[in-house]
Amino acid sequence: MLYRADFHIHSCLSPCASLEMSPDVIVKRAQAVGLNAIALADHNCTFNLPAFERVCKKEGIACLYGMEVTSTEEAHILCLFDQLDAAMELGSRVYGSLPDILNQPDKFGDQPIVDEQQDILGFAEKFLISASGYTVSALVGEVHELGGLIIPAHIDRQVYGIISQLGFLPDEAFDAVELTPRGKRKQAQHYPVVRNSDAHQLSHIGRAFTEFEIESLTVENLRAALWA
Amino acid sequence: MKISELETLDDFTCLQDEYEDAEISAGYTSDLLSDVMANAEDGSVLITIQAHKNTVAVSSLAGVSAIIICNNRPASDDMLAAAEKEGIAVFQTARNQFQTSALIARYLGE
Repeated sequence: MLYRADFHIHSCLSPCASLEMSPDVIVKRAQAVGLNAIALADHNCTFNLPAFERVCKKEGIACLYGMEVTSTEEAHILCLFDQLDAAMELGSRVYGSLPDILNQPDKFGDQPIVDEQQDILGFAEKFLISASGYTVSALVGEVHELGGLIIPAHIDRQVYGIISQLGFLPDEAFDAVELTPRGKRKQAQHYPVVRNSDAHQLSHIGRAFTEFEIESLTVENLRAALWA
Repeated sequence: MKISELETLDDFTCLQDEYEDAEISAGYTSDLLSDVMANAEDGSVLITIQAHKNTVAVSSLAGVSAIIICNNRPASDDMLAAAEKEGIAVFQTARNQFQTSALIARYLGE
């Protein structure tokens, strides 16, 4: 089956994302723009993944469960799972490792946890833009132990990309690296490339995507396709 | 100022002492490693809070001979192992980057 995938979409939980980005609205928009595989990846938090899973099941769209972790080096790293419980476990570890700095909604924006009907269940208390306690190397180990894919995000960006933070692309067991639509293939060196939207607002969903010809959307199939 | 003199400073702990002693010619203060790589001079001491093995990789490429970790941030074991391999001295201090820079600048006559 041919999957047209956008694996980097933020929900309203990310303080920098538009409040309209509830799982329900995201899924409907993704289907409208021709995607048939998506992942939700909020900053350092997985609290909106349970609602996302229910909406994807209801609407019949293939999905992965993600998170965009800020490493100790302040590089953004996309972590993707095909099992919700594994994603929630990493989410709990990463959120727990964030410093005890609380969000100030008037300055940074709200961090609402929502259900599939777009009702607000509560708010993530810690400021999600802080750096987690995980270095890139430690995160590689955690994600692989939990059965996920680890992909440095937007490596060609000047802000929070792994190259802008470290000065180089380290030799780690990354499953791929993510480029923005303008990124050049050679910046990825020997790693497979994925492109995603990094949508923080509805109109950006699907503005970049990656196609995979695989039997079903699993971490194992994706890894095999990436390195084929 | 020599690298070994850093060991004698108040509040400084040497975390990695397998290095060849040499004169420190300059200092560079930054927590953005791509900036360190682009702008740190050969023979500098790097003042930073980035305490992980990639700091050592960048220091090695930039010619940084000693790293001072501020705010008593813990250094990971793989950082210290990498520093030992590269012969880069690593120190830790409770001082912040501003205070450390001011202190080192006095020794370097800047």
